[in-house]
Amino acid sequence: MARRRKSGKAGSLALRYLVLGSWALFCVVPIIWFLTIGLRPRTEIVLPQPLYLPTFTLDAWNMIWSSWPMGSYLRNSLIAIFGSVVIDLLLAIPAAYSLARYKYRFREDIGFYILSTRMMAPAVVAIPIFFLFKTFGLLDSVWALMLIYAAMNLSLVTWIVRSYMLDIPPEIEDAARTDGASDLRILVAIIVPMCLPGIITAGVIAVIFAINEFLFTLLIASTQNAYTLSVALANFTGGSDGIIYNAIAMVAFIAFVPVLLLVVAIQKHLSRGLTMGAVKG
Amino acid sequence: MAEAIAANPGRAAQVARSPLKRRRSPLQRKAFPYLLVAPAVIYLLGITFYPGLYAIYQSLFRVKFNSWTFIGLDNYSKLLGDNEFWASLWNTFLMGSGALLIEFVIALTLAAFAYRDPFIRSWRILFLLPMLFMPSAVSFLWKLAFNDGRVVSDILMRIGFIERPLDFLGDVWLARLSLIITDVWQWTPFLFVIFVAALQGQDAEIEEAARLDGARWSQIFWNISLPMLKPIIAVALVLRGIDIVTMFTSIFIITGGTPGGATETMSYFIYRTGFKRFDFGYASAASVLLLALTVIIAQTFVKRFFRSGRD
Repeated sequence: MARRRKSGKAGSLALRYLVLGSWALFCVVPIIWFLTIGLRPRTEIVLPQPLYLPTFTLDAWNMIWSSWPMGSYLRNSLIAIFGSVVIDLLLAIPAAYSLARYKYRFREDIGFYILSTRMMAPAVVAIPIFFLFKTFGLLDSVWALMLIYAAMNLSLVTWIVRSYMLDIPPEIEDAARTDGASDLRILVAIIVPMCLPGIITAGVIAVIFAINEFLFTLLIASTQNAYTLSVALANFTGGSDGIIYNAIAMVAFIAFVPVLLLVVAIQKHLSRGLTMGAVKG
Repeated sequence: MAEAIAANPGRAAQVARSPLKRRRSPLQRKAFPYLLVAPAVIYLLGITFYPGLYAIYQSLFRVKFNSWTFIGLDNYSKLLGDNEFWASLWNTFLMGSGALLIEFVIALTLAAFAYRDPFIRSWRILFLLPMLFMPSAVSFLWKLAFNDGRVVSDILMRIGFIERPLDFLGDVWLARLSLIITDVWQWTPFLFVIFVAALQGQDAEIEEAARLDGARWSQIFWNISLPMLKPIIAVALVLRGIDIVTMFTSIFIITGGTPGGATETMSYFIYRTGFKRFDFGYASAASVLLLALTVIIAQTFVKRFFRSGRD
């Protein structure tokens, strides 16, 4: 009996590692293969018979810096993304505090309205926003992208920060309030420092979504004035040469490394951030 | 409790008694939470509500470059008779529900196996990796693997599954499958991370008690852990579902809606009508219908799972 139980346990352990191991391979093998794409010459990518042991070369690395304005792409991405996160935090922290700490008419409706903007398909607002920015002469500018990314992530940032604010015991604020601190002062001096992990989590997730953004950037950007990494990829074609995959793979990994570092840094908070605070990890 | 301050006369009196507290009129105190939330709401209204109204307005016109001709609801009646529009709706539903279902089953299975594993941190990072690439890059990765580089066909041939290379993007169902696999590869980790966190967050003692009573691991998972997980599963599926409905990047890069419109989603339909055929009024009409659809989804599903503050 005891032995059967033991072998059953070993069997289920083997099954567990078989399942987890297979998925891990499915995740990792394409990534490693894509890395080899970035490190091989262009002539060894699109072939009748795929090549699994390519020549190693840094062609792609040299090419992205010499043939394309990679510096502009990086700068545009950085300005648009970080600007948008700053806008988000400035708007979201007071809004989150209001939703988390006060009781007032329409609070639920306002909260739900903010949340529901997260559900708006980008394609729905793409055309009006295109015309709006055209009117204001903001097409092909990083400022337009900054405003769009901020709008896109505002609901997410507000709800994540709100969730962390709810964790702070109200007694702390009550004590400060009896000491005569104003509501605004309490928010800045007590609440913000105490929910810093939430603010950082929200910021990191907003950064990731902004890096990924594609449709708006595609419509708004038309030259290197505003191309970000995500959309610049789609233009890595060399006319008759077709898609230049090794350059694309190289840029993919350039964007991947900072995202990986950010995600590792907030690992414990990731699930809570991704569910906009609904799941406490 | 703190949010009750404004409503709680005892507390308000206490605050008012405090000597250092600036005196504020009841009106000011009442307006304060609205003032805090207003900038965010105004910003969002400007960038979602205004465009929504603009789309409704524009959908009533035939727009040719700068000339707008009022045509009433013609765009809508034309849309309802447009096979391409219905096909895009069907494709969105088909590929979206397919991808969502597969992602859900895989993520839940992996989470069930992984959450009590001693190496859970390593598994989580490994499984997360695909999600950390830009969707445009992931789309190119799979476009190369399925089509341009013929890698998937080659591997399947070497294993002996198939004899001739498959034309992944030329066949209706294979093209849809390619897009689903792309989505599953990148976004299964989204659900996995959430499920694992939820499973880890549950009370371990309940499981322990069940185990001591002789319950098998699978029984514990099905009868104890899974029911507790239900609300979180709902939240995760709604969030993922919304993103899938708006699927665009992979279609733009991998198929462009081919073959014969079989992979065109609603988002791509709107994009193509507006920015390839420059039929902006017509595209706006489609936007309005998609908007109505998302509002209905949001009202029915989302409102249930999210609450703003404490009650």
